[in-house]
Amino acid sequence: MQFSRRLRLLAIALAAALLWAGAVTPAARAAVVSTEAALAVSAAGDAHRAQVEGFLARADVRERLEALGVDADGAQSRVALLTDQEASQLAAQIDELPAGGIGWLGVVGIIALVFVVLLALDYFGVTDIFPWVHARR
Amino acid sequence: MALDVPFHAQEAYQCGPAALAMALGWSGAETSPDELAREVFVPGRRGSFAVGLVAAARSHGRVPVELHDLGEILAELAAGHPVLVLQNLGLRLPFLSRPHFAVAVGYELPAHQLVLHSGTIARRPITFANFERTWRRAGGFAVAVLPPDVLPAAPDEGRWLAAAAGLERAGRSAEAETAYQSALARWPESAGAWLALGNVALAGGRLADAEQAFVRATELEPGSAPAWNNLAHVLLRSGRRPEALAAAQRAVALGGPHLQTARRTLEEIEAAIGP
Repeated sequence: MQFSRRLRLLAIALAAALLWAGAVTPAARAAVVSTEAALAVSAAGDAHRAQVEGFLARADVRERLEALGVDADGAQSRVALLTDQEASQLAAQIDELPAGGIGWLGVVGIIALVFVVLLALDYFGVTDIFPWVHARR
Repeated sequence: MALDVPFHAQEAYQCGPAALAMALGWSGAETSPDELAREVFVPGRRGSFAVGLVAAARSHGRVPVELHDLGEILAELAAGHPVLVLQNLGLRLPFLSRPHFAVAVGYELPAHQLVLHSGTIARRPITFANFERTWRRAGGFAVAVLPPDVLPAAPDEGRWLAAAAGLERAGRSAEAETAYQSALARWPESAGAWLALGNVALAGGRLADAEQAFVRATELEPGSAPAWNNLAHVLLRSGRRPEALAAAQRAVALGGPHLQTARRTLEEIEAAIGP
C-alpha cells in the first residue's frame, strides 16, 4: 500500500510543519546535530533532507506493517526504533525483503517443488512429461 | 568448538524471535522468544525482517554489529561472540524461498563446518560451502549482538559508532554512553566518539561534560561542522554568548551537509545576543 499522491503531499506538509515547529520552539535541542545524523550524512548529502525522508519513510513503514497484521501500537513503537537510514531502506524494499520464519514448505511450495523437479528431469532427458520442454542434447 | 549459547527451539515461523532470544540471552539480556515475537514478528509475512531484529536488539540495550563475510563471522566466533544469521534454505524462486534465522555458535575447522543453533536443533553442523550459499542467497545478513562494553573481534570505528548511535533512538542512553566510552578506550583520537559522548551528556543535561567532549572533538577534527555546531549550542545554554557566537560562525563557515542546522544555531545565538 503506497502513499497516494495526495496523502504524500499532506505528509510532506506535516513533516515540514513539524520540523519548522521543532526549529522555533524554545527547546533548543532542535539545533543540535545528533550522532546518528552526523554519521549518516556522508551518503545522503543533505542532513535536513535525510531527516525529512526518514520521517516520511517511518510513516510509510508504519502503515505497511499495520496492513501486514501488526497492531497499531506495535507498529508505532517498532518504527520509532528505526534509524532514518533503516526506515528509508525498509520503506523502499518491504515487499522484496526476505522475512525469515518459514517453518514448512506448505502445499503450494511442495507442488512448486515437484514441478521444478519434473522440469529438471525433462530437461535432462530422464522423463518427457511436458511437451514444450526439450531435453538437452 | 562451540560457544555456550542458550538454545530456544523455534515454534512455527518464529525462528527470528528464537534466534534473537539466543543471541540476547548470551549477551546477558533476559528475554524470551514469546516477548520478542511481539516486537519483531510480522503476521502478514509469516516471519520477521532482519532490520526489525537489529532494532529490537538495540531496544534491549545491545549493539548489533553487521558482518560482511564468512571470515568476519569466524573471527567473531573465535573471539567468543555468537553470530545471528539469515539463510535462505530453499531456492530463489516464488513459493520455494525459505528464509530462516539461525545463530552460529561455533565451527570445526578440520571438517570445514559451521555449527548452528537452528530451528529445533541445537549445535547443528553445516559445511562452510553450504552455509555460504544459503547465506548469500538470503542477502548475506549477519550480526554479532554485543554488550555495549564488548567490541567486535576486528572492530571498525565507523561501524561500531553507527551501531551504537541507534541505541539513543531506542532510549538506551546509558548503554549508548558505555558503547562510546568503549570506542574511546580503543580509539582515543576518535572525534566521532567524542561528539557522540557529548550528545549523550547534553541530552542528559550535563552541560559541562558535553562542552568538554565537544571541545575535544573540535581539537581532534577542526573541520567537523557538527562538533562546532554542538559546541556553540552548549555554550549558548551555559550563557557564554560571545564564545557560542564564534563557534557557530565556525560551523557555518565549514558548510557541508549540516549547514542548515548550523545557520539555525547561529540565528538563535544572534537573537539571544540582540542588536
